[in-house]
Amino acid sequence: MAVVREYSVGKRFLPNLIVSVLLLIGSIKAFEEEIEPLLAATCLACHSNEALSMLDFTKLDHDLSDPAVFRKWERVFDRIERGEMPPAPMPTPDSSLLEPAMAALKEALIDANLERRGPRRTSLRRLTRLEYQYTIEDLLHIDPEAAKGVVVVLPAEADSGGIDTVATNQGISPLHVRGYMAAAQDALDVALQVGPRPNTGMFVTNYAKSNYLRFMSNAEILGGGITKVLDDAIVGYFDGGSTYMFHSGTEGYAVPMPGRYNVRIDAYPHRNLKPVTFTVESGPTASGATAVLSNMLGVYDLVDPDGRQVELTTYLRPGDVVTPVPYVSIPAWVYQYYDPDKKIQEYEGEGIAFKTLAIQGPLFEQWPPRSTRELLVGIEFENGEPVLSKSPKEHVRDIVAAFAPKAFRRSLSDQTIDRYSALAEPALDDRRDFLSAVRVPLTAILTAPAFLFQSGDDEYLDDFALASRLSYFLWRSMPDDKLLNLAASDGLSHPTTLKSEIERMLDDPKSQRFIKDFAGQAFRLYELHATNPDPRLYPEYDSRLARAMSEETELFLAELIDADHGIRNLIKADFTFLNRRLAEHYRIANIEGQFMRKVALPSDHVRGGLLSQASIHKITANGTTTSPVPRGNFVLTNVLGQPAPPPPPSVAGLEPDTRGTTTIREQLDAHRSNTVCASCHLSIDPPGFAMESFNPIGGFRAFYRSTGSPVTSDGDTFEGQTYPGPYRMGMEVDASGVTPEGDTFSGFTEYQDLMVEKKLAYIAQHFASQLIVLATGAEVQFADRDAIKNIIAQVEPDDYPVRGMIHAVVQSELFRKQ
Amino acid sequence: MKMTKHVLNRRHFLRATGVFLALPMLESLSFADVKRYARMVNICATLGLYADSWFPKTAGIEYEPSEYLKHIDAFRDRYTVFSGLGHQNQTGRQAHNSEITWLTSAEHPGLDGFVNTLSLDQAAAEFIGYETRFPSVVLATNNAQSQSYTKGGVMVPAETSPSALFTHLFLQGDPASVTRETQRLTDGGSILDHLQSETASLLSQVSNSDRRKLDAYYEALRSAERELVSVRAWHDLPKPTVTQEAPADVEDRADLIGRFRAMLKLIPLILETDSSRVVSLMIQDHGVVLNGFDAAVDQHNLSHHGQDESKIAHLRQVENVIVKTFGELLSNLGERYDDGTSLLDSTTVLFGSNLGNANSHSAKNLPILVAGGPLPHGKHVAYDGEINTPLSNLFVTLLNTMGMEIEAFGHSSEALRWI
Repeated sequence: MAVVREYSVGKRFLPNLIVSVLLLIGSIKAFEEEIEPLLAATCLACHSNEALSMLDFTKLDHDLSDPAVFRKWERVFDRIERGEMPPAPMPTPDSSLLEPAMAALKEALIDANLERRGPRRTSLRRLTRLEYQYTIEDLLHIDPEAAKGVVVVLPAEADSGGIDTVATNQGISPLHVRGYMAAAQDALDVALQVGPRPNTGMFVTNYAKSNYLRFMSNAEILGGGITKVLDDAIVGYFDGGSTYMFHSGTEGYAVPMPGRYNVRIDAYPHRNLKPVTFTVESGPTASGATAVLSNMLGVYDLVDPDGRQVELTTYLRPGDVVTPVPYVSIPAWVYQYYDPDKKIQEYEGEGIAFKTLAIQGPLFEQWPPRSTRELLVGIEFENGEPVLSKSPKEHVRDIVAAFAPKAFRRSLSDQTIDRYSALAEPALDDRRDFLSAVRVPLTAILTAPAFLFQSGDDEYLDDFALASRLSYFLWRSMPDDKLLNLAASDGLSHPTTLKSEIERMLDDPKSQRFIKDFAGQAFRLYELHATNPDPRLYPEYDSRLARAMSEETELFLAELIDADHGIRNLIKADFTFLNRRLAEHYRIANIEGQFMRKVALPSDHVRGGLLSQASIHKITANGTTTSPVPRGNFVLTNVLGQPAPPPPPSVAGLEPDTRGTTTIREQLDAHRSNTVCASCHLSIDPPGFAMESFNPIGGFRAFYRSTGSPVTSDGDTFEGQTYPGPYRMGMEVDASGVTPEGDTFSGFTEYQDLMVEKKLAYIAQHFASQLIVLATGAEVQFADRDAIKNIIAQVEPDDYPVRGMIHAVVQSELFRKQ
Repeated sequence: MKMTKHVLNRRHFLRATGVFLALPMLESLSFADVKRYARMVNICATLGLYADSWFPKTAGIEYEPSEYLKHIDAFRDRYTVFSGLGHQNQTGRQAHNSEITWLTSAEHPGLDGFVNTLSLDQAAAEFIGYETRFPSVVLATNNAQSQSYTKGGVMVPAETSPSALFTHLFLQGDPASVTRETQRLTDGGSILDHLQSETASLLSQVSNSDRRKLDAYYEALRSAERELVSVRAWHDLPKPTVTQEAPADVEDRADLIGRFRAMLKLIPLILETDSSRVVSLMIQDHGVVLNGFDAAVDQHNLSHHGQDESKIAHLRQVENVIVKTFGELLSNLGERYDDGTSLLDSTTVLFGSNLGNANSHSAKNLPILVAGGPLPHGKHVAYDGEINTPLSNLFVTLLNTMGMEIEAFGHSSEALRWI
């Protein structure tokens, strides 16, 4: 009875446990008895021979309590169930052998799974770093950017390979405790602002009159001028210097304090034949005049010859600068630095004329700000200073009584309020000032288990726990007053109330946080910036394209939810989201302006659907080269939910080769001639082959680009725009393949069709599973599969509508139980 | 290891080396005391080191230094270069995941509910505790990611700013900020105390699976409180002051070497002032085209050279300078004091990479070098390049030199033999 010893539970649970252990032993016995005839008749011919297969049934243990053994049998079950085993041309086993064996194996796997996991699916989970950030933003009413700045002191979430809400993967350490204490202090620093109201200043620079720019533009002095002086503006072009020419720092503006600022820029196109683009960016100034521009605030096209004024509001910290950056390329001969000739004056090409930059701020709707007023409830302010109207201890109690229930996301007893309030007493007794004293209980609340952990004791979540689970699911943050009020009156769990709340929450802008985090984790969008493409091979890549790539995927997922599209659209859609930059990248004409909008795709176009999006192509490439292996694995793991196991330790990775003499397909073909490799690569490679038509930055390709000489392409043109080279045209792309089921496809589009035709149920199942994992903080394990299938069954008749799937998930047992 | 018992005039010596210690804390601490402790430094070049240029072609004492090792060959008696070491099963979710397990040896990083394990440096840090002001110092050249993990698999964030680190280590705050910090520590003590009782009362109410998590939190609160006591004790003691000026941060990400060097310069100061005995430094992917080299593409791109000759040449250019710059640390630590000893005698320096072949992301046959400490150096110790000897075996040896009487660490099979 080793199992009992491992499982330390109270004595009163013991009788139940013994029953379940006996059941478990029973199911293992049944599974052994039922599976043997099937193995003997169908499997052992191959699966007892090392040369043919890594799986040897004669050596495979039956002890499903061992996780490694369990995983192997689970894979056996999956591959038989999916019809992958036995493989063609082997005959399908007789159902009189197959059905009882599979039923017994399923039961044994479920029993073993439940035995290991215990009676409850989920356990206490803590807020992730991102959830913490959103929560303090909402709880303290502080600026999103300020909240982002606070959480840098928290340990990053570890890469567990799954979604970071999963409790079993979450670490908790003294490092976290110290981080939470520091973060709470920093958050309160941001939230509590008292004293005289800071002045809201207005700074305007007229570039044409800027001494700095006139000096820098004067080629005779510096020989480095690459800006052109006009009467009413300075013309800028893109080169290494353009990030420091126009920024607010050199024009003499210093950000006085952290806060929101209004930025306005006046500009018009100079000598242009087509729209020209500039961005507005911000970042800290580094050494000297060079600005480190880490935030792209906006991208704008100039079409109208009179130009336009762009206006935005952004968060700035002291030291930050703001600048327009002209994204207009300029030939190298013009900007030879330290060349005394004023070549720029002769240059006839297009540029951007910047007239003015205006910054107004910090902006306050009121003073002290809302964050201070909401926190210091019951306190009046005179000239920005708090004025107490009763004893400090009474004020502390009022403040704690208002704050703690929101922070803990449920009603609290008077004793709890008293205990936290008492924490201010030593400081008050020491005659420390009121704010410093009240910060002690507030810091404790923001470090308390009830704040940091998602709780719930009963088998079914109580209404407060349900409110939290729901809001952390769809808003990635704490419940608002409406949800908490519904919970307080026990009304939330009613199915119709839940339904209308889901609708309300999805329509709220806060649901964008869910889409961003879901795309980031479930489809790995967070890795978009992990590599930089080789600028020699992919010179057309830049940060504006990267920005459009991630926006496309996020807007696309949002649209699936908003319009309640069927899940087939995830794979193949007749629309996507584009701006001019991305449209040119995709070779789609007539998209003007740099704002993203929904675009109907021509029916014969290769784009449409997640796997056609440049973001996914970039994430699954290493910057320089692509390989069908990571791309195939992306499809298996992130779309189908059928990840292949990692390669056996003895196998070496493929060695990328860009010399253009061998394609990755040839290397893989050699790889697959090994039977052991082939067993997984038969599934991994085909989706990867289909995606070969997309280069590392998501451009469509018929040929590989390669390094070396001779250079055979100067790039190509589209709609008058030249896509620069030079690079060498490599070998021709072959995106054809054969699926493990034996279906052939000639390229990406045909592969998409096969997925839509044959894999939708798996795709829907995996999508729903990922939603459940994110929402409940527990992996979907073998024992949960039937519950997932129940969710899917509800939406199957309507072709798996995505919004409908979210409803079905929330109403499900998995969501509403621990 | 021979150690002279002779007590130096510490001030005299330190002044000579640019270090001036504040009174009174270290007045009683003789230099012999400082030198007595074992220390460790771990440095990882996470984008790999091109194998053909790194590994010597022959093994043993007489080995011919490779292209890269030529830069530090002056110290060859004071280090050992290894081949055939590696961690098993490093295929992870992302191709570069092996960088998070370089100091831990946990398998399949990032796959399937992965939880990292205790790292080499944090094992040493835990062993030393607050005997020094900082149990460990964790550094990186570009971002807060590190290779240092606590027992529960939590990453210790890295410091990337030399000036912030210098302030942290050596500068006393102004009186107002010292008072504020004192207040924060006092408040922190009472908050942690309160939270422990809150958590304890919750513990009695929850189910088993939740109890495990709350237990972990309770333990974390307790350790945090214990640490706070130590931090408070150190807070009350003045920091060591050094005559060296505070370094300026190298703001430009493209200046990889400048950033690497700025960190390397601080390491002898950290060790000499006994601020910490454990330092880890991660040379990261800076994601930009590097300054000072011919390459027009960033270092990560170069590492995926695809057998392109010009890329390999550019890659070697960068890596030659990395190894050469690393040599500056050996030179600083190796400088002998009046009594003939040096910091390097008591400091093991691990240098290498988590990638054996960055072009294919292979984590086998890693470039590994160990300098300093009481080890029999001067050799190329060559293990089988195909079936690797666990790198954790070396970690056992390194932890033994720190005074930890352990026989196993991570996936080790035994302490490493110098064959």
